[in-house]
Amino acid sequence: MSTLDTLADILVRDYGVAREQATSDATLATLKIDSLSLLELMFKIEDRYGVKIAGDTPTDLVTVNDVVRYIDELIARRPKLRAGGATEVPGGK
Amino acid sequence: MKQRRVAVTGMGVVAPLGNSSEELFENLGAGRSGVHRLADSQARGMRSPIGAPVNFDGGAHFPEPRLRMLDRVSQLALVAAGQAIADARLAFAGERRERCGVFVGSALGGAATTEEGYHTLYAGRSDRIQPYSVLNAMTNAPASWIGIDHGLSGPILTYSTACSSSAVALGEAARRIKCGEVDVMLAGGAEAPLVFGVLRAWEAMRTLATEDPQDPSASCRPFSRTRTGLVLGEGAAFAVLEEWDHAVARGAPIHAELSGYGLTSDVTHITRPTAAGQANAMRAALDSAILDPNDVDYINAHGTGTLQNDAVETAAIKAVFGERAYSIPVSSTKSMHGHLLGAAGALEFVIAVMCLKRAAVPPTMHLNSPDPACDLDYVAGKARHGISVRAVMSNSFAFGGTNAVLIAKGIGPH
Repeated sequence: MSTLDTLADILVRDYGVAREQATSDATLATLKIDSLSLLELMFKIEDRYGVKIAGDTPTDLVTVNDVVRYIDELIARRPKLRAGGATEVPGGK
Repeated sequence: MKQRRVAVTGMGVVAPLGNSSEELFENLGAGRSGVHRLADSQARGMRSPIGAPVNFDGGAHFPEPRLRMLDRVSQLALVAAGQAIADARLAFAGERRERCGVFVGSALGGAATTEEGYHTLYAGRSDRIQPYSVLNAMTNAPASWIGIDHGLSGPILTYSTACSSSAVALGEAARRIKCGEVDVMLAGGAEAPLVFGVLRAWEAMRTLATEDPQDPSASCRPFSRTRTGLVLGEGAAFAVLEEWDHAVARGAPIHAELSGYGLTSDVTHITRPTAAGQANAMRAALDSAILDPNDVDYINAHGTGTLQNDAVETAAIKAVFGERAYSIPVSSTKSMHGHLLGAAGALEFVIAVMCLKRAAVPPTMHLNSPDPACDLDYVAGKARHGISVRAVMSNSFAFGGTNAVLIAKGIGPH
């Protein structure tokens, strides 16, 4: 499942966004996702992908695609999983 | 200049024993109790795990995205306020909105949100708190949401004077109308205190009723020698208050006139009430209504069921009404709907107005063992119907010492 699909699912399920509006070029403002909603949405993203947002959520995310790109960057920086599924501790063996 | 008067044109209730003023009044008249055993998640470990919950599911009223921005206290408030507006047949579209406002009483605000946030942090479940926490928990959230939903841009204020909060909200709203500043006010109260931390804090204060081992629903026994304390309840009650001529001009249904409001403070102790302070509030309410003690035909007592309150309130009523005190029906409906704290004054004001409309008064239930210090006519055990009810008084006295008394007059040919 692509990041966009996952994000669209969350927007539809938890934020009352119509499925056909949850497109990559839609702006968060038109979807009525304000700054607090975005913050809350990022909690869901953290849980979903097992990533951790260090510091504050960036304030320059305007479109759904901006959010998708931000999530993909977080995923790319995520510590690699071992075969057992445990998160690899940076600097550990 | 002509004295401006205040009409009660709409009432809305979401409370134990009823999600409308009619349903509530019918259940009270039948002597039913809204006090039950609470779920373990709310009251685990309590010596008396009882309360008066509301049969209310916010999900039935608000879509999910909205619901997350509303603590239960705001959900209850919005629904009760909406009912009151519908009951008043009021469409704000034709109103000067800057002359319409919202006054709400609440003691605790969004208690569940506060508790949830602390639990998340302190129990180490996560280091993240929901971003809406402050907005959901703030005590003025119910008032603000009502204003936003209905586009009312006049004064929006929240009064927090513990158990008299919403009586104060109603009284102050009436004053704003009388002084000419506004024409329409939505005034009432909301409280949602049935969460674990709040219940345990009240238990720690030793003011909660001991659960009746035979019948938990009969645990609150105001004015009885066997009373052991209050039972916490949740809910919201609102009234549309309107300048009299404004209401008449638009052909509004007028339930009653909010004619009297008295406000005094006990300044002796943070919890201990004084008969003098309560009596002065009742006298001030009578004065502002331009009534004398003989005009009042029913008193909805504060009647919490605590040892202190009921004896002191009885003494205060006697100080104001003299011999007449013994012939006025006085009831504590808290024996059935519990103590709604910041919402109690508004709920009981609505009940008192229903008494005017129905020419009936609800009973004090579970008063099976009279206390010599409480020797008035408390309408024990059985409602009275078909009696003359010209004016009613509703008493609200609070921790912190704020005494608020409201008087409503019927509109019938008295």
